[in-house]
Order: sequence, then C-alpha cells, then structure tokens
Amino acid sequence: MAAGFKTVEPLEYYRRFLKENCRPDGRELGEFRTTTVNIGSISTADGSALVKLGNTTVICGVKAEFAAPSTDAPDKGYVVPNVDLPPLCSSRFRSGPPGEEAQVASQFIADVIENSQIIQKEDLCISPGKLVWVLYCDLICLDYDGNILDACTFALLAALKNVQLPEVTINEETALAEVNLKKKSYLNIRTHPVATSFAVFDDTLLIVDPTGEEEHLATGTLTIVMDEEGKLCCLHKPGMFPPLQS
Amino acid sequence: MAGLELLSDQGYRVDGRRAGELRKIQARMGVFAQADGSAYIEQGNTKALAVVYGPHEIRGSRARALPDRALVNCQYSSATFSTGERKRRPHGDRKSCEMGLQLRQTFEAAILTQLHPRSQIDIYVLQADGGTYAACVNAATLAVLDAGIPMRDFVCACSAGFVDGTALADLSHVEEAAGGPQLALALLPASGQIALLEMDARLHEDHLERVLEAAAQAARDVHTLLDRVVRQHVREASILLGD
Repeated sequence: MAAGFKTVEPLEYYRRFLKENCRPDGRELGEFRTTTVNIGSISTADGSALVKLGNTTVICGVKAEFAAPSTDAPDKGYVVPNVDLPPLCSSRFRSGPPGEEAQVASQFIADVIENSQIIQKEDLCISPGKLVWVLYCDLICLDYDGNILDACTFALLAALKNVQLPEVTINEETALAEVNLKKKSYLNIRTHPVATSFAVFDDTLLIVDPTGEEEHLATGTLTIVMDEEGKLCCLHKPGMFPPLQS
Repeated sequence: MAGLELLSDQGYRVDGRRAGELRKIQARMGVFAQADGSAYIEQGNTKALAVVYGPHEIRGSRARALPDRALVNCQYSSATFSTGERKRRPHGDRKSCEMGLQLRQTFEAAILTQLHPRSQIDIYVLQADGGTYAACVNAATLAVLDAGIPMRDFVCACSAGFVDGTALADLSHVEEAAGGPQLALALLPASGQIALLEMDARLHEDHLERVLEAAAQAARDVHTLLDRVVRQHVREASILLGD
C-alpha cells in the first residue's frame, strides 16, 4: 500500500516523513549516509580512491604526466579534473559526449581545486619553463544515488593524498628528464576541502546528503565546500525559484 | 627482449604459474543498487565491472524494435587510468567499439532474446592487465544472471597463447604485450558450443587444436568458479529473505 501511494504521490509520501523529522531510509534530516572509502586499489593509476556514500559510488584515478608549462606561468603545473557520468551508473544517462550534469560537475571540481588550493601548482614544477607535472584526475561515477558532488570531492581528495610522484632530474648534458621510479614522494596537500550538499524542500526545509529520489523531488539543491580552517572554498547554488531568504 | 622468458625450462611462466593455470579469480554479484543486475570480477590484476539495465523499452527510434526478440546493446569502456599510459579517448574509439560489438555478438547467442522486448548491457573495465575480453564476458555473464534475464547457459571466456610449443591459458598483460599469437574464446560450457572465437597474430594450423583445447579447458574451469559464485550469492540472498 505504501509503495502504491509512493508511486502516485511521491511528494506527499515524502512530506509525511518530513513532518516527523525523518526520511524514508530512517535518517535524520541532518544525517549523512554511511561512507566508506578504499584507497590505492588501482595499481596502474598513480593514485586512486573509491568512495561510497550510501549507494552513490565514485572512483577517482589520478595519472601524472609530463607537460610543458605555459609561457605566462612557467613554474606552475596543471591539475585537470574530469567527471564522467557513464550510462552504467543510472538509466537516465545516455552514451555519447558528456551531458550537462557531467560538465557542471567537472567545472565544480575544477573550481574547488582552484579555490581551495589543495595543491600549490608550484609544487608540480620540475624545471621552470621546461617541464612540469600535469595531474589528470578522472572521476567516474559507478552508481548514481544522489549527492554526486560530495562524493566526487571526497574521492578527489583521497586520491590526491594517495598519489606518489617519482623523483625527476633533468640531465644537463642531454637536457632529457630522468625519472627515478624507486624514489617516490607524496604530494603536499595543503588543505582538506569537504563538500556538503543540501536539498531544499518546500522552500523551507533543508536536508543533508540527498539521495537520488530526494534530489528529484526537491525544489532546489545547495552545495557548500569548506576546509578544515573553517574557510569557505566554494558555494554552488544552481538556480532556484523563489530565491532563498538570507 | 633480453631476460624476459615467457616460459622457463621448468615450465613456469613470468608470474610463476604453470602453462594451463588460471590467475586468481574473485567475483561478486549485486554490487550496485541502481542497476537491475551488476557484477564485479577480478582476474589477477584485471578488474572488470558489468552492469545490466533491462529488459526495458526501446530508447531512441522505435523503428529499431524487433517484433519477435529483444535487442541487446553492449557498451565497453575502459577507465583512462586503467592502462600504463593514460588513455585519451575512453569511449567511442575503434577498440571500444569493436569490443562492444564482440560482446553483443557473444550475448545475443546466449540470451533468450525471444522472451523480451529489449535489454541493454553496459560493461565497464576499471583496470586492464591482460585478458580484458575474457574478464568482461565473465563479468557480464554474472551481471545478466543477477538481473534475472534468462540465458541458455553461462558464457565463460578465457584467452590463450602459444609459446615454445606449449599452449598457455589466461594471458596476463606481459604475455599479451610480447606479441605472440592470442586466442580469445567464449564458450557455453554445458553444450560445449563456442559463442565467439577470435585470434590475432600468426599461428600454424597444426597448433590450433592445442591452443583451442587449452582455452576451452580454462573456460570450463572459469565456469566451475562462476557457478560457485552464483550459488553462494543465491544462498546469501535467500538467507536475507528469511527462507
């Protein structure tokens, strides 16, 4: 009977739970789902992490390559994130070029990296003006059950902490880079940004860590990224009508 | 290649296995909540994920719908960080399309398509360390079983090669990269029928019989393992349901 009511009137079904200050999966309004993280399981990647936020599963693989720095920033390396939402994570995604949601998520992660200064780009420099590291961070969602931005941020941070870069020296005579695979060092992670997503219901109620269904029924979503010093790194509020009163 | 012997005099391969020995296989079914069926398999260092959605209505053009059977759609992608060198184009490149097509042909042979309007199978490879096709097929079989789509039989796959007069089963990345002949075989074990057979590089026809037999035997070993995984999964599921 409950299942029938849920199909016909999903919003009413939800309101019944929200009135009692809880949600259908038994959580409080301010409670996160069980989070698990598995680090370093992909040996072909330089750093990897698998994060599960309830059912939402995101894997991040970081690969480091050489690149020539740009002329206006000769001592800065690059961090290139990319979020992929393949058709296997949910039936709402089609195969083909990245859809809107994937592109928005990629841009969000790029903003988080830039604003929170997780890594100083100068740390990625090997030889100014000639050779720098570029870190390709590929985030792939394996199971989509809402709150993709939090999971991606977490996976990215965990993977970056797991990255080990070999020592590189430039041979003066040949001007070629020599990589010493035996000597590897971890990246210097300066801040630890954490993202928290909220869904707004009926313009008044805020619930934390929305599942896929909750995101679909909500009137809007809001994501805030903060680091451990309490500084705000990023605020993502994609549209909403009517606007929230401050 | 100096110093790298694919098969030593005592009959040991690079990773210490014997000629007909498989790599360690671990598999799990029902790993994802969103999909109708899903499975994860690890064959040595190769990790493959398969996810099945379906059977559901035809998406896109209705004209593609077949009146008497289901349409099986396979997509293969490998993660950019899955190979030693970063892969620039994870989807849509020729190798992915070819693999998707091969998987589709394999599964159209096994799934009882007359019973459903349409199924869609998406297969994802997380890390590649040789034997990609075989790992994908094995993962996809488990995922299709997890989704409850009726199949004629398990589809078990294995790769085989030929070095120094001996047939090797279940090639790892090092052995594949060495450039010898490689055979990929997908078998329906109960009837012994071959769903797909593909071979690269030159091999004398006299040796084909032996290589084929090595691959078939390895596929049957894989079948024993997958069968055990499925029974274990069903047992766990029925315990949870309280039967």
